[in-house]
Amino acid sequence: MTPGAVVRPASTEEVSRILRFANDEAITVIPRGGGSSLQGEVIPKADSIVVELMRLDRMALHENLRSVTVGAGVTYGVLDKFLKPNDLWVPIYPESSLVCTVAGNVAVNGAGPGSSTYGSIAEMVLGLEVVLPNGEIIQTGSEANPNAPGPFMRYAFGPDITGLFIGSLGSLGIITKVSLKVFKRMHHFDYNTYGFDDSSKAERFLLELRNNDVNALFATLYEGRILNFFMDMLGDEYGIPKHEWPAYTVSVTIGRTREDQLISDAEEAKRICSELGGEVIGVRELPRGEWTDRMWVFARSSYAHGWHWRILYHHQTPINWHKSIDEIWKVMDKYGLLGHTAGFLTDHSSYNLYPMIFFDPADKEEEQKARRAHAELALRLYETGAVPFKLAPYWVDGVKDLERYIEFVKSVKRLLDPKGIMNPGVMAGV
Amino acid sequence: MTGVDIEELRENLLQCRRCGICRNAVYEDEGFNGVCPVWKASSGFETSFMRGKVQVALALLDGQLERTPENAESLYTCTLCGNCSQICAAEFNAKDCLEKVREVFADIPNEIRDSLARAIAQTGNPYSEKPSAKRSWIRQMGFKVPTRGKTLYYVGCTTGLRLPDVAKSTARILKAGGVEFAVMESEPCCGSVMLRTGRTKEANENAQSVAQSITDSGAERVVVSCAGCLRALRKDYPERFGIDLPPVLHITEYAQQLINEGRLRPKGYPKVTRIAYHDPCHMGRELGIYEAPREILRSIPGVELAEMDPSREAAMCCGAGGGLRSFAPDLSRRIAADRVRTAESARARILASSCPFCEHNLAAGRDLSGSSIDVVDVAVLLASSLP
Repeated sequence: MTPGAVVRPASTEEVSRILRFANDEAITVIPRGGGSSLQGEVIPKADSIVVELMRLDRMALHENLRSVTVGAGVTYGVLDKFLKPNDLWVPIYPESSLVCTVAGNVAVNGAGPGSSTYGSIAEMVLGLEVVLPNGEIIQTGSEANPNAPGPFMRYAFGPDITGLFIGSLGSLGIITKVSLKVFKRMHHFDYNTYGFDDSSKAERFLLELRNNDVNALFATLYEGRILNFFMDMLGDEYGIPKHEWPAYTVSVTIGRTREDQLISDAEEAKRICSELGGEVIGVRELPRGEWTDRMWVFARSSYAHGWHWRILYHHQTPINWHKSIDEIWKVMDKYGLLGHTAGFLTDHSSYNLYPMIFFDPADKEEEQKARRAHAELALRLYETGAVPFKLAPYWVDGVKDLERYIEFVKSVKRLLDPKGIMNPGVMAGV
Repeated sequence: MTGVDIEELRENLLQCRRCGICRNAVYEDEGFNGVCPVWKASSGFETSFMRGKVQVALALLDGQLERTPENAESLYTCTLCGNCSQICAAEFNAKDCLEKVREVFADIPNEIRDSLARAIAQTGNPYSEKPSAKRSWIRQMGFKVPTRGKTLYYVGCTTGLRLPDVAKSTARILKAGGVEFAVMESEPCCGSVMLRTGRTKEANENAQSVAQSITDSGAERVVVSCAGCLRALRKDYPERFGIDLPPVLHITEYAQQLINEGRLRPKGYPKVTRIAYHDPCHMGRELGIYEAPREILRSIPGVELAEMDPSREAAMCCGAGGGLRSFAPDLSRRIAADRVRTAESARARILASSCPFCEHNLAAGRDLSGSSIDVVDVAVLLASSLP
């Protein structure tokens, strides 16, 4: 689709003026951050205005509040470099960190290395500055009080208005600033791999890491064949020794600010593994590679094999990890397509999976087949109890028992955006 | 007509997954502090960096865009610095592909590109100056330089016609090292700019002529001052045109040898001088030469070497390459000004490089930014430190 115009505002006020104009003229607006658009969130509509936000690149550290405020054009890579001299970080690294903006990532509620302890990016957000479809500028969180020293409390003034915009895919307004929690940077890490002959033991291992407060910053459960595929792509580069991998391998990076905590956690992880009948494999290069390369390991492992792909981000509980895997393979087999899935423990009791269905971009028939497989997989995953990060349209088409929820989403959308100018269709087809 | 396999080119372009890492990735652990100099110094729209350029190229190839100069314009606002290829997660060599795209679209009118090729064909240099002018600096040397010899100093157009101090310094270094050398009577252009702008057929014809001239000079070794000449003669000629030349060395590589052998002994500066070294794209990312110029600077007593952020494999371009200095001079200078500011952030008093084309542009960027930093070639610094 060819947009009518692309604009690159340099301030919140300019964004406001653009939206006021678009709203008056009922012109569709597509907000755009880094444009990684892994699930097609920022594809322009015909004659729309694309509002590209990369010029909103200011940052402010609030050291005493343990928070930072970034403009909508700031990527994770830029933010990390900004915080490092103060020995601080935002300990979640979406694996498109070099491209995606923090604000864009908030708009899709992304996750990545670090999320196994800290959850999705939503859990870091203390407040947002948002330009509403009519051009009004609002501030959420503690900063809604102009006398506040800055962002220190998200749940200020009652309902979680901040949360309304997280994962909203730019359909309710344009996020122009994000305030986030910052933490003291960790310097003590333990990398290890744990093997299991049965998926239920591996799943239980993940759950028990959480139950026992092992600070697993990044914990990934690999099926043997997927791990071998990963090895083909990055094994040599990460210096991973040849190994007869078991049926299920959990790769874990534990991080702590204090060494004594780390030693204790590493011992605890080994104990849990052994008690569950697993094997401490001891190949450390895999998790070390995942963690040290955390800003783009996903991009590298996704692109190095040469295919294009459709992806289906979703959450399962760790105990139901196998249900997603079973459905993914069934769909691949049914459509005769290649693909794989990876994922990681995310937050309190969730596991984030991102199955990818490969296709050759020069083969239009195969691409259509990948689209059909993608749609069917979404339905099947929904039926296993999986939930998406956000309401992309393909999570809604044909699903049962979600009508009332979708109706409520539509009501919110009508309230905030009565003319329907903001990124129409991107959230639940609304 | 072009020798490029269009289907293969299209397949390669489709390797781009449109992730956008090539725009402005800041990845401290890998040394990246930005990627695309054009994106950074321009309006920053999608076609300013490689992700957009690839889409434009595909649309032109597939006929979705009409082949007009306006539609092809973004293909030429690129320095071909290769930083995007350096960081590409898909390991897709976008820079080489764009060069091929330019070759494929050589029939789309572009007066600047064509006038550069014409000038080289007619005068032996892109500046349309007299062919013999490249030897003018020799008159000030106080010694004779033959036109034939075992060591040929291939001066280069920018060195000979715009920065003769670099040529004089190179000559002093060779002389001080006890190396007898020759300079051609009428040195032809290496044709780098033809290669970079897609005039490959003319570049091939030119290369054959250059090779013949080098053979006629009796050279057993070729020494150059310019990173662009170095890349063309050492890499492009054999790989693209099957031309084998005698060994081609950059003066910094040769001078490093001479220093190691004890044939050159820099005496140094009276007081400590902080110098930042700018890696030319053709020498660094293209040929992997990072140490020789740094070693030379370190060998000069009183020099404190400063590293810019970014440098080496992730260094930002000076803005001159890929024909950009001709296609978009203001943009080219803004990119140079940005690089100058980086050198100032490294608290350098001198910004050194080993490519006169870089230096010519960095000096323009210095003037644009109002900086007082000195922009100096490594050869000039070395020559001035010799007894």
